[in-house]
Amino acid sequence: MRKSILLAKANLRRAKGQAAAIIGLMLFASLMLNLWLMLATDYKQNFVRCHEKLNGEHVTLVLNREPKEAAAGLSGFLEQDSRMSDYSLEDALNMVGSFAFHDGEVNSELVFLEKEKAFSRRIGQIELVEEVEKDAAKGIYLPILYKSEDIALGKEIEITIGNGKRTYQVCGFFNSVMAGSHNCGLCAVVLTKDCYQELAEAGDVPKATLVSVRLTRAEDSEPFETELNTEASARFPDARMNSNSYALVSQSRYISQMVCSGIISAAAFFVLLVALAVIASNIMNYIQENMKNLGALKALGYTSRQLVGSLLLQFLGLTLLAALAGIGMSYCLFPKVNRMMVSQTGIPYEVHFLFWPLLCTLLISLGAVGLAVWLASRKIRRIEAITALRQGMGTHNFKKNHLPLDKTRTPLLWALALKNTCSNLKQNLTISITMLMISLVVVFSGVMIENIIMDMTPFVEMIVGETADSCINIRAEAEEDFLRAMEQEERVEKVYLYHSLKLRHPGGAELMATFCGDFSKVNNQSLCVEGRFPKYDNEVAIAAKYAKEKGLMVGDEMTLAAEGKEARYLISGYTQTSNNLGKDCLLTREGYERLGKPDQYSYYLNLRPEVGIDTFNEEIGKEFAGKANAVLNIRAIVEGSAFVYVSLMKMIVAAVLCLSLIIIALVLYLLVRILLAHKKQEYGILKALGFTTGQLVLQTAAGFLPAVAASSAVGIFVCAWVINPLTSLFLRGIGIVKCTFTVPAGFLAAAGAGMTAVSFLLVCLLSLRIRKIAPCRLLMGEG
Amino acid sequence: MKKSLLKTKQLSKSFSNGGTLQHVLKNIDLELYEGDFTVIMGASGAGKSTLLYALSGMDTPSLGTITFGDRVISDLNSDGLAVFRREHCGFVFQQIYLIDGMSVMDNVMAAGLLVSKDRKGIRNRAKELFEAVGLGPETWRKFPTQISGGEAQRAGIVRALINNPRILFADEPTGALNSKTGLEVLNTLTKFNEQGQSVVMVTHDMRSARRGSRILYLKDGVILGECRLGPYVSKDAARHDKLSAFLAEMGW
Amino acid sequence: MKHKAFLWGMLLLFAAELAVVLVFAKPWMGGGPRSENDLQAGSTAGSESGSQAGSTAENRSRQDTVAVNEAVQSVQRDWDNLKQHRNETELDYTVVDLEEKVRFRTRAGLSESRNEAILHRDTILDLVTEGRPVGKIIIYNNSNEIIKMEMQKLFGVLLAVMILQAGLCGGCFFYINRVMVKPFRKLERFAQRVAEGNLDLPLEMDRQNLFGAFTEGFDLMRAELKRARIAEAEANAGKKELVAKLSHDIKTPVASIKAAAEVGEALAESGKMRENYLRIVQKADQIDGLVSNLFTVALEELSQLSVNPGDFKSGELEALLQNADYFQKAKIPPIPDCLLYGDLFRLQQVFDNLFANSYKYAGTKIRLSVCMEETCLSVSLEDSGGGVPPEELPFLKEKFRRGSNREGVEGAGLGLFISDYFMKEMKGALSVENGKEGLRVTVRILLSGGI
Repeated sequence: MRKSILLAKANLRRAKGQAAAIIGLMLFASLMLNLWLMLATDYKQNFVRCHEKLNGEHVTLVLNREPKEAAAGLSGFLEQDSRMSDYSLEDALNMVGSFAFHDGEVNSELVFLEKEKAFSRRIGQIELVEEVEKDAAKGIYLPILYKSEDIALGKEIEITIGNGKRTYQVCGFFNSVMAGSHNCGLCAVVLTKDCYQELAEAGDVPKATLVSVRLTRAEDSEPFETELNTEASARFPDARMNSNSYALVSQSRYISQMVCSGIISAAAFFVLLVALAVIASNIMNYIQENMKNLGALKALGYTSRQLVGSLLLQFLGLTLLAALAGIGMSYCLFPKVNRMMVSQTGIPYEVHFLFWPLLCTLLISLGAVGLAVWLASRKIRRIEAITALRQGMGTHNFKKNHLPLDKTRTPLLWALALKNTCSNLKQNLTISITMLMISLVVVFSGVMIENIIMDMTPFVEMIVGETADSCINIRAEAEEDFLRAMEQEERVEKVYLYHSLKLRHPGGAELMATFCGDFSKVNNQSLCVEGRFPKYDNEVAIAAKYAKEKGLMVGDEMTLAAEGKEARYLISGYTQTSNNLGKDCLLTREGYERLGKPDQYSYYLNLRPEVGIDTFNEEIGKEFAGKANAVLNIRAIVEGSAFVYVSLMKMIVAAVLCLSLIIIALVLYLLVRILLAHKKQEYGILKALGFTTGQLVLQTAAGFLPAVAASSAVGIFVCAWVINPLTSLFLRGIGIVKCTFTVPAGFLAAAGAGMTAVSFLLVCLLSLRIRKIAPCRLLMGEG
Repeated sequence: MKKSLLKTKQLSKSFSNGGTLQHVLKNIDLELYEGDFTVIMGASGAGKSTLLYALSGMDTPSLGTITFGDRVISDLNSDGLAVFRREHCGFVFQQIYLIDGMSVMDNVMAAGLLVSKDRKGIRNRAKELFEAVGLGPETWRKFPTQISGGEAQRAGIVRALINNPRILFADEPTGALNSKTGLEVLNTLTKFNEQGQSVVMVTHDMRSARRGSRILYLKDGVILGECRLGPYVSKDAARHDKLSAFLAEMGW
Repeated sequence: MKHKAFLWGMLLLFAAELAVVLVFAKPWMGGGPRSENDLQAGSTAGSESGSQAGSTAENRSRQDTVAVNEAVQSVQRDWDNLKQHRNETELDYTVVDLEEKVRFRTRAGLSESRNEAILHRDTILDLVTEGRPVGKIIIYNNSNEIIKMEMQKLFGVLLAVMILQAGLCGGCFFYINRVMVKPFRKLERFAQRVAEGNLDLPLEMDRQNLFGAFTEGFDLMRAELKRARIAEAEANAGKKELVAKLSHDIKTPVASIKAAAEVGEALAESGKMRENYLRIVQKADQIDGLVSNLFTVALEELSQLSVNPGDFKSGELEALLQNADYFQKAKIPPIPDCLLYGDLFRLQQVFDNLFANSYKYAGTKIRLSVCMEETCLSVSLEDSGGGVPPEELPFLKEKFRRGSNREGVEGAGLGLFISDYFMKEMKGALSVENGKEGLRVTVRILLSGGI
C-alpha cells in the first residue's frame, strides 16, 4: 500500500495539468450529481413533511352551499367511509378570480377565507409566513408563491373576482399545502374580517363550504375525491363545486422541480461520462508513454496489482477531493437554486445538510472512476518486464498509407493533418463522444431557445393544450346572440366553442372534459398525438397518460358519466396536455350532449393581431353584461404562468451552454497535451525540416477538424431527430407523450459550424505550445 | 578562391545549465565555402553539434553574427529561420529522424512540398535521388520502421537534398549505423559532394573525417586548427598521413 | 488492433441479425392477445386490418374500430343521399339496405349479402338513422392479404438472417484461419530455421494476436540463444584484456625487488654477485623510472591573489563599468557582443582602481572607449588631467611607485601593479600612455577561445 502511494505521488507530480483538468471535470460532475440528488430526493420529502406539519388535508372540496346545508348532505357519507380519519366544514366564498402576476395573470378558483378562522384551522392549517406590522383596513393574505416585486407587503393588489374588480392591501403571505397555488385547482385567499364581510355581503360572490378531509392513507386520495364528488353532485345537482386531492397537488407542485432535476441529472451524467472518457484516455496514454518505466517497476518486483492500485489510488484520491469540493460547492449553489424552486413550488424549504445524497454522489463518482481506471489500466497486466524494457512494447507497423503525398492533390498541411487524423483513432473516438454529447446539449438549448425563449407558443401549446387570445364564458341562453355578434365583429378572426367541465370515468378518475364544436378550428392541431380528434358523437380523445394508466387503447370503448347519465364512447385518439395532470379528454359537442346540456359555454376567440385583447374583452364584457360569466385574457394568463418556466429555461440554457464550452475546452486541452507529448519528436523533426510554428499549429488543429466536424454534424443531425422523443421522455411524468417542438434548422447548422470553428480555434490556441518545441534542443538532447 | 557560403563572426553559444552559464562555443570566426566537404571534428562535448546547429539556423547563437550570402541569419526569428532552413539547408541526423507515421516517400515529399508546389517536379526529383542513393520503389512505399538503418539514412539524405539545398548539414550520419552501412552512407555523401554539393559534417570518427576536403578541429568551443586536404581520393596514403599528422597535432 | 476491429465487426453483424429477428418477432411477442370487447355492434373475431396509418405494431391484430366507426357514421349521415357518399376511410365496404340490395360499394368483388359476408368473415354492422335500422354495412375482411404480406415479410426476414448468418460463419472461418492456422504455419517455418542454426531472422508476430505472447516466447528463446553465442565470444575477448591489465600491474612490485637487490649488492661478497645485483638494480631503476614518470606531479606555487578566469559575455562589462564609475564621469559606449575570458571579480577590482585613480589625480570627465581587436577587447579610459611626465610612464605599473603629482593624495602605489598582475593572470594586458588631454589606460581583455 505504501508503495502504491509513492507511485501515485510520482504520477501526479508528472502530470499536474491533467490532474487539474480531471479535478475540474469531476468537480462539476459531483456538484451536479449532488444537486440533482438533493432536488430529487428531499424536495418531495419536504412536501410530505410540510403536509404533516400542517396537518394537511388529503381531499379538499369547495361546494357552493352554506355549511349547514353541506353538512346535512355530506356528513353521512363522510362519517361512514372507513378511509376518512377526520374532516371539517368551514365557511368560505368561492369564485373564479384573477390578478396580475409577473408579466401575466393568474386565473384560478379562489377560495376566500376569513382571517381569524383561516389561521386557526384544525385540518389543513394555514401557516403565516410574513405579515405587515399594522393591520390594514382592506387586508388580504396571499399564498407565499405569489410574493414578487409587484405583490409585496403593504402594496395594493387588484383582484378580478367574477366580473367585478376589488383592490386590497397585501397584509401578508401564508403557506398552505393544498390550496397554495393555482396549480392545485384551488387557491386559498385569506381576507381580514371586515373585507370578508364586505365581500360576502356584496352578493356576487357565492357563499360556499370548504370541505377538508384527512384520510388514513394518502394513496386513497384520488378515488376518495371522485367518490366525494359523485356524492356531492348527486346531493346538490346544480351546485358549483371544485375539488383537489393529495395526489394531484403533490404532483402538480413539483412539475418544474422534476423537469429541472431531470435536466441537472442528465447534465451530471454527461459530465461524468466525459470525465471518465478523459480519465480512460489519460491512463491509456500514460501506459503507452511509460511502458519502459512500468516494465522497470515490474522488473523491480512491483506486481501488476500494485501498479494498477497506484493508478486507482491516484485517481480515486483526486476524485474524492474533487467530489467533496463539488459537494461543498453544491451547498453554496443550493440556496440560489432553492430560491428559484420555491418560487415555483410555493412551499418554503430550509437548506440543510443531507447525508444520503452525499453518500450517493461519492459512491457514484468513485465507483464510476474506479471502474474506468480499472478497465483502462488492464493493459498494465499484459506488460512483460523483459519485453517492455527491451523495446518499449514495439508497435508493429502494418499501417496502410492513407494519403500518399506524391499522389494526393490535397495541400501539404491538410494532407499531413489528415494523416494525423487517420492514425489517431483513440483521439477521434474521444472527440466524437464529446462532440456527440455536446451537440445534444446544443440541440436542446437551440430547441429551448426557439420554443420557449423566443416564441413560447409551441411550449405553451404542449403544456397547456390549447391557447387563444380571449375566452368568453357565456350563458347558454345568450349563446346564439353571442355568436351572431361575433360573426359580425371585425376584430375577431375566429371563434370556436371550447368548453371544459368535469366528467367521471366510472372505475377511474374524474376527467376534465373539453368539448368543441369543430376541432378543425382549434389552434393547436398537434394536441392529438395519436389517432385523431373525435369527429362523431360517439367518439372521444383521451389524454395519453391517463389511457396508459388505465390500459385504454385507440379503438377501445370507454364509459363516461355526468349529471347522472352514462354513455359509451369510442376512443379515436390520444391527446397530451399537462392540464389537470393528464386527466383530460376531448368530446364533440354532440358527444357531450348525449350526457347533458351545460348551462354555459366557453368560447375561444382569436383576434386580429392589431386588436388589443384587454380593450376588446372590456367591450364584450359590457355588451354582454349579465350574460357573460367571465371574460379572460388567455394570453396574459399563459404568460403569467409560463414566466417561471421561461426564466428557468433561460438559466438552464445559459448554464448548459457555458458548461459545454468549458467541457470542450477541457477535453481538447487534454487531447492536445497528450498529442503534443506524443508527437514532440515528430514536431521537432518537422521544425528542423523548415516547418514554421504557424504551419504546425494549423496542421494540428486541422487534424482534429474532421472528427470534430463529422461528429458534430452527425450529433446535431441525430439529436435534432431524437430531441422531441427524448424531451417527451423527460416530460412523461406530467402527461406529455409526444413533443412537437420545432427544431430550428438554421440555428443548429450555425451552432454546428460554430462548435467546429470554436474547437478549431481552441486547438490552435492550445497547440501554441508547439512554439516552445525547439528543434535543436530536441535533436541534441537525444544525440 | 572559392565562393563564400556562410560566414560567422564571433559566434558564441551559451546554455544555462542548472543556474550556471555554460559557454559551448566561444568567439568562432569561420567561413564556409561552396563545394567544400567540411568536416568538423572534435571530442564529444567539444561543441561540434552546437556549432552545426547554429550554422544551419536550427538554433540562434547567443552572441555574434552569421551571414549567409548577404543575409544575416542570426537575427531572424524562429519562423524566419524555418523558412531559411527549408530553402537552403538539408539535414542528415545521427538518429535519422524519419517520421514513423509516414512512408519513406511521404517523408521526402513532406519536405519537398514545403518549398515547392510542383508536385510532379518534386516527385521526379525524389525518384532521381532515390535511384542515386540506391533505393528502389519497394523501399519508398515502406514505413521507416520497416527498413534497415542504412536504408533509412540514405532516405534521410534524399529528404535532405530534395530541395536542392545550398548546404547539406550532417550530424554524425554514421553514428547509429554499423560499419558496412556507414560506408554506404559516406560514399553517398562523397558522391553528392563530387557533384558540387556543399557538405558540412560533424563527426568524431576518423574514417568519416577522411572524406572531408577541409577538416576543422574543435576543442572546448574553439576551433583549434584546420587542415585542407583537397578532394577525397580513396586510398591516398599521403592524404591519410596529412590528416593523421594534423589530428595528432591537435591532440586527437 | 486489427483483430479487435474484426471482432467488433462480427459482434455488429450478430447484433444486426439479432435486431432483425427482434424487430420481426416483436409484434407477436409484445402485442399479445387482447380482450375482444368494445364495439357497438357484434363483430366477427380475428379479423385484421393492418394498413391504418396510425396503427402501431401492438394493435396490428385489431380491427381499426375508429375507421369502422367513421365508415358507419359517414354512411348513416349520407343515408338519404348515398350516391354522393364518399369513402373517407381506407376500408372497403358494401352498404345494403334491409332487403339486401346493394346501395353502395367501394369497389367490386366484395361480399354483397349477409351470407357471403359470413362466409368471408366480414364485419356486419347495423345502420341506424333516426332511431330505426335502415340497412347494414359489410366491412370487407382483408386479413388474407395481410397474412400474405406477413408471409412475404417473414420470408424476407429469414433470407436476411440467413445471409447475415452466412456472413457470420464466413467471418468466423476467416478469423480462425487468420488467427490460429496461419500463425502456426509461420511458427513451423520459424522452428525449422532455428533448427538449421539461423538465429538472425526474428519471428514476426502480431502482438495483438491470440498467440502473441506464446509466439513471443519462441522469439525470446531465439534471441536468448543468439545472445548466449555473442556473450561467449565477448568473454573470450575479455580474458585477453585481463591478461594485459595484470601485466601492467605487475610493474609496481618491481620497486621492492630493487630495494632487495640493493641490499643484496651491499652484502655481496664476490664481484660477480655484486655485478649481478647491480644489473638487477639497473633494470629495476629502468622500470621504476618508467613508472615514476607516470606518477610525478609538478605542483605549482599558488598565488595568494588567486585569479579564476572563465568565459563571460561582453554584455556583463557594462554593469561592471557602471559599478566602477560611481561618480558617473564617463559615458559607457556600446560594447560589441562577444565572449570574453577573465575573472569578473578581479576585473571589477581593476576598473574600480582605474576609475579611482582618475578621480584622485585628474578629477575630470573620463572618455571611455571600447574597441574590438584581433584577439581581445580593449577598454580605454582617458581623462583630461594632463597625464604624467613621459619619463615616469614606464614605472607607473611597478610596486610602490606613484606619479610626481601625488602630493596631497593618499595611496600606496600598489593599484596599477596589482591591476597589471590581474590582467596578466587573465592573459590580458594593461597599458598606460599619455593621450591628448590626459592619461590613457587601456585594459585588454582576451576574447575567449583565442589564445
